[in-house]
Amino acid sequence: MRQKNPFLYYGRKLLGFAVSVFLLSLVVFCTARLAPGDPLVSYYGDRAEKMTPQEREQAEARLGLDEPIHVQYVRWLENAACGNFGISYKYKTDVISVIAGRLPNTLILGGTAFLLIFAGALALGALCAWNEENFLDRTVCKVGTIVSCIPEFWLSLVLILVFAVQLRWLPSSGAYTIGGGGLADRAVHLILPLTVTAAGHLWYYAYMIRNKLLEEIRSDYVLLAKAKGLSRRAVLFQHCLRGVLPTYLSLMAISVPHILGGTYIVETVFSYPGIGTLSYESARYQDYNLLMLLCLISGSVVILCNILAQIISEWIDPRMRSGEPPEVTKHG
Amino acid sequence: MSEILLDVQDLTHCFRLGRNRVLRAVDGISFQLRKGEIFGLVGESGSGKSTAAKCIMNILHPTAGKIRYLGINTCDPRQFRSHKKFLQISRQIIFQDSTSSLNPRMTVADIITEPLMIHHIRPPRGSLRAEAAYQLKCVGMDPGYLDKHPAELSGGQRQRVAIARSLGMGPELLVADEPIASLDVSIQAQMINLFKHLQQEHGFTFLFIAHDLAVVRYLCDRVGVMFQGKLVETGPVGEVFSHPLHPYTQALLSAIPIPDPRRERKRIPQFFDSTAFDREGQLREVSPGHMVFQKGDKL
Amino acid sequence: MDERFILVGARTPLPPPPPEKKWYAGKPVFSMVVLAVIISGCLGCELFIPKDPVYMDLFHAVESPGREFWFGTDTMGRDIFSMIWFGGRVSLAIGFLSTAISTFLAILFGAASGLAPRWLDELLMRLTEIFLSIPSLLLIILLQAILGKAGVLSISLVIGVTGWTSMAKVVRSEVRRLRNSEYVLASRCMGAGFFHVLLRHLAPNFFSSIMFMVVMNVRSAIAAESTLSFIGLGLPLEIISWGSMLSLSEKALLSEAWWIILIPGAFLVATMLCVTSIGNWLRGESGQKSGNL
Repeated sequence: MRQKNPFLYYGRKLLGFAVSVFLLSLVVFCTARLAPGDPLVSYYGDRAEKMTPQEREQAEARLGLDEPIHVQYVRWLENAACGNFGISYKYKTDVISVIAGRLPNTLILGGTAFLLIFAGALALGALCAWNEENFLDRTVCKVGTIVSCIPEFWLSLVLILVFAVQLRWLPSSGAYTIGGGGLADRAVHLILPLTVTAAGHLWYYAYMIRNKLLEEIRSDYVLLAKAKGLSRRAVLFQHCLRGVLPTYLSLMAISVPHILGGTYIVETVFSYPGIGTLSYESARYQDYNLLMLLCLISGSVVILCNILAQIISEWIDPRMRSGEPPEVTKHG
Repeated sequence: MSEILLDVQDLTHCFRLGRNRVLRAVDGISFQLRKGEIFGLVGESGSGKSTAAKCIMNILHPTAGKIRYLGINTCDPRQFRSHKKFLQISRQIIFQDSTSSLNPRMTVADIITEPLMIHHIRPPRGSLRAEAAYQLKCVGMDPGYLDKHPAELSGGQRQRVAIARSLGMGPELLVADEPIASLDVSIQAQMINLFKHLQQEHGFTFLFIAHDLAVVRYLCDRVGVMFQGKLVETGPVGEVFSHPLHPYTQALLSAIPIPDPRRERKRIPQFFDSTAFDREGQLREVSPGHMVFQKGDKL
Repeated sequence: MDERFILVGARTPLPPPPPEKKWYAGKPVFSMVVLAVIISGCLGCELFIPKDPVYMDLFHAVESPGREFWFGTDTMGRDIFSMIWFGGRVSLAIGFLSTAISTFLAILFGAASGLAPRWLDELLMRLTEIFLSIPSLLLIILLQAILGKAGVLSISLVIGVTGWTSMAKVVRSEVRRLRNSEYVLASRCMGAGFFHVLLRHLAPNFFSSIMFMVVMNVRSAIAAESTLSFIGLGLPLEIISWGSMLSLSEKALLSEAWWIILIPGAFLVATMLCVTSIGNWLRGESGQKSGNL
């Protein structure tokens, strides 16, 4: 059952994305509003506790906190449509500008880690498949199992202890030296966070690619290619890798949320000024406007990646597209 | 004439195939089951026998028509719900494939006593295990099988377990959906005799679905012949088998092999052209109890 | 007339029977032993720990491992050796408790979704997707804010509530496969309710395929507890667990006290490794192919 109209197909995917994001915003908004904590306190600090009831009411009216929740949601949605997500209670500025200041740092860290992981995973996976069940393959798999068991924050701590505290080669925190620093300085600050993020995920994806490659090697067309007289290397690189490519792509799409989650923790350990530390802070100080937008952004990225992965896997295997055969409905 | 137990009126069930294609699996069939009789439903595969059985057992919801069981309209959700427990206890079904109708991870004892557990019925013979052993003995199996799993039994034994499970509740109506089709011939004969024996002993009403006419002739009191979702002929077994009136029934009967080589060689199987089958028409009574599907006066 | 009937192949000797397998062959014995030692040590820690794990001996703060304090003391002067066994209880308890919660939720949700009609199933799966799309860290922060002050129960609840989705998906697809089997049909025909079908028919059949995920869930729950406690959203310092011990690491880094970071972490990683290798063995046992995301 191939879809005839590509516009219809992508339109439906887009609609699914929109509905998901809408529901996500609803969930996030309700949770943020129902969560305890007095936003007045985070906005006015200690002053909020000394306010008279009248002053409180005025302040609440100014921030729009006195209306029923659905009215608040609709207004928030209206404002959000115009690109106005409210004011950060803690930073006292527009939420968007707060995030815009931090986003590049996370993008640099996450993006570089992403590229590293997938280049490394492909290389390592191919290497292991080439040396299947050899010493090298077994070592890589063992090391991978062990490293994947180490929590990211602890790995960060150990690396800081060794490279920053004992050897004093690398800085232990931040994205750049305060009061200066060029590209090289930034790069030096990136080394440790990047290592941790990449190390946590590299092995898993390398293992997946290795298994997929081995599956590919066992298939009949490889036998045919060998029978034609192609060398082992030519078979692996020209045929098997091409067969693995779709899986590789959908793995990349699915991995985004995992890597994103990983950078959140790594950022917090290294006090790296990115989205992760920001969301941690906003939760700590109950800065809900900021937290809501952060949840919305990362949630949308995840939903988008899931849809991408779905499109890729449907493109590989059209069977996924048509649902199950008509089912028997039950009564009684 | 004894009381009518099950009254099926104009039963229709359609399956949706895709967006605008509909398959009328069962198309307006009507028949009655009297208390204590064995009614055979025969027809080729795909003629709607199993669908009809599933509608009777409330597994499928019929598209149209009425099914009355002792005066209860089981197709009406309200009436069904108010008599749910009674209906679930007094009507039991046996499926064709005993391999898939028994949970591979349960023991024979658990399988047989499952309906008792569901309805929280106190086992009449003391413990659940004793009850299971008794039921197993009724279907001719040794109680030593109680702790076995279905995978350890033969096909015939599994089907006996399935029968024991449904008889444990003392049903009024037993529907058997091709219970012997997946067994080999020597075991089929055993099972037929078992059914006959059990029916005489328990006196339940039996709706027996099969595609094997010889079995139906031996076992059943009355028979209904189905073709493409229609009931084309129904009547007492002797009458239908000796004077088949519908061409499809005649073709079916002519296909029965005769266990005598000299006569078997002379047997001329008739051919029934399914494209010539006219779906318009209705059942007409031609002799007492013998009804034939026809349009106007001609067949 | 022997030559007319030569039995082809009858003279070739049978291959020797394979040597009898030892009961432990292929089982992760080492991991099981280590895990058993850690678990029993944590459970019976009162019998052998030399110091009171909660006593803060400020005269002996940040002391390196030595004769009196085998694993050293932390920045508040507590004996790390005693704390590890004592706090391991909490970490393991959270691991098992939150896994129980996630498994329960996953089975309930997956089975409901698998047995539901098409539209409801679609809706439930869409909801799961949205739930999955909120980064788990943020979800935990939000939940934590709602539940208030952190304790063992609330942390288990938070971790359990956030970690059930992938298991639910497996349960759902298994249930969808099983629901049309005739024994489920037969059981429903006999009048079985949702929970009867679930417990008697579905759960025993899909349990082997989620066993591996359950074990791996223990691992990730222990990791989640330590991570949360470390960044200050989990257990407070007074409730000793491996995670809350590691939350002193920032201070430890300043005083270069490596033992405060390395020793509890080593126990954490060792436990997780043992659980992982048992999980991998289970996955091999159930015959599930590895490498399906």
